[in-house]
Amino acid sequence: MPSEDTKERIAKVVDVGRTILHYAWIPMIIYVGFTRSNPQPSLIKCVVT
Amino acid sequence: MASPVSPINPYTPLSAAPSSSSSSNSTSLFSGYLNSFSRWRAELGLPNPGSVENLQKEVKATHLTNYAFDGGRADLTKSMSMNPLFQVTHSFTLGSQTMAPSYNFGAIYATDNVFLQGGVDHDGNVNARLNQGWSNGHVSKAQAQLSQTPGHNLLQLEQDYSGQDFNLNLKAVNPWPTDLTGIFVGSYLQSITKNLACGTEWVFQRPTPSTSELVATYLAKYTSSDRSWITTAQLQPAGILQATYWQKLSEKVDFAADLQLVATPMRRDAVATLGAKYDLRLSTFRAQLDSTGKVSALLEQRFTPTFAFLVSGEIDHLKNSAKVGVGVMIESSALSPEEMEMQMQQMQMQQLSPPQ
Repeated sequence: MPSEDTKERIAKVVDVGRTILHYAWIPMIIYVGFTRSNPQPSLIKCVVT
Repeated sequence: MASPVSPINPYTPLSAAPSSSSSSNSTSLFSGYLNSFSRWRAELGLPNPGSVENLQKEVKATHLTNYAFDGGRADLTKSMSMNPLFQVTHSFTLGSQTMAPSYNFGAIYATDNVFLQGGVDHDGNVNARLNQGWSNGHVSKAQAQLSQTPGHNLLQLEQDYSGQDFNLNLKAVNPWPTDLTGIFVGSYLQSITKNLACGTEWVFQRPTPSTSELVATYLAKYTSSDRSWITTAQLQPAGILQATYWQKLSEKVDFAADLQLVATPMRRDAVATLGAKYDLRLSTFRAQLDSTGKVSALLEQRFTPTFAFLVSGEIDHLKNSAKVGVGVMIESSALSPEEMEMQMQQMQMQQLSPPQ
């Protein structure tokens, strides 16, 4: 069984990872779509219809 | 049945085999049996039965339980690219008696092997989906719902393997790395004949390290030989049965019936649903009748390739209440007509040339 210290560290890592995912998921999808789609769209078209 | 000559004939008595250690004899015998078993299985030519989640896929597409809504709704979809599919959606709902007004922003990116989807709410709740397909029939999926309130986070990890005539699926919901709490689901579906598939699903719930519970469900799916009707059944030994029947009456009309029966000592309940879907050239119409006294209908009418109009209505005769929803869906594209032509041609060329 991992020690209390390790458990606390794992809990903190999971929390930080969850926060990163929460704020970065949508920007990551927009970045991936924006750089890999052909033809390359302009950034304003990604957000405003 | 004629089987091609195998390198080791499994019917040779052991004494006639060349002398070597008995363990290598038995492993070569075992692999000989395994080879002839897998050859027999491949010769049966059984179709892949699909996954356990998709067991009732046709019925869920015909019934409008997942599509009905109430209040006003507007969906604006802008697609930037078709070939790696990239779409951005703004979705507005006006309030109704059951829901507050909301705004949702979604983005989808998809290529042949990867599917990424994300959506964010006006409250800041994010829902995320990721599907990654590997080359040999494995698909890894992850799904997450993240919110600012601490108790409402959800993470689901899934691994799906489609063999030639079976499907194996493992899911973990909210697994915690140190004490392995969470919900774990394993399911297996196997084609027995060309028309019949049977399987099981085991749900292992472990809310704390000391308490756990295992629930097993038994599944069966029968498809007719011309694939025009499908009937499925899901049974839990505790006394819960769900049976469905779906039939394609013509290329424009689908019919589905669903029965859910609970016969546990604590609760006895049954709900039957009958529904039909009409796929016309410019519109899709779904109608449904329930044994709880609910009659519902959903119409999606497409006026131009970019504009569709939805009307959803439900009347509950026993409670004397009604819910009506009206919506519009506008799809626009950032591509000019020439760019769209080029992308359609690229997609067709990719479909004609063999996949790598």
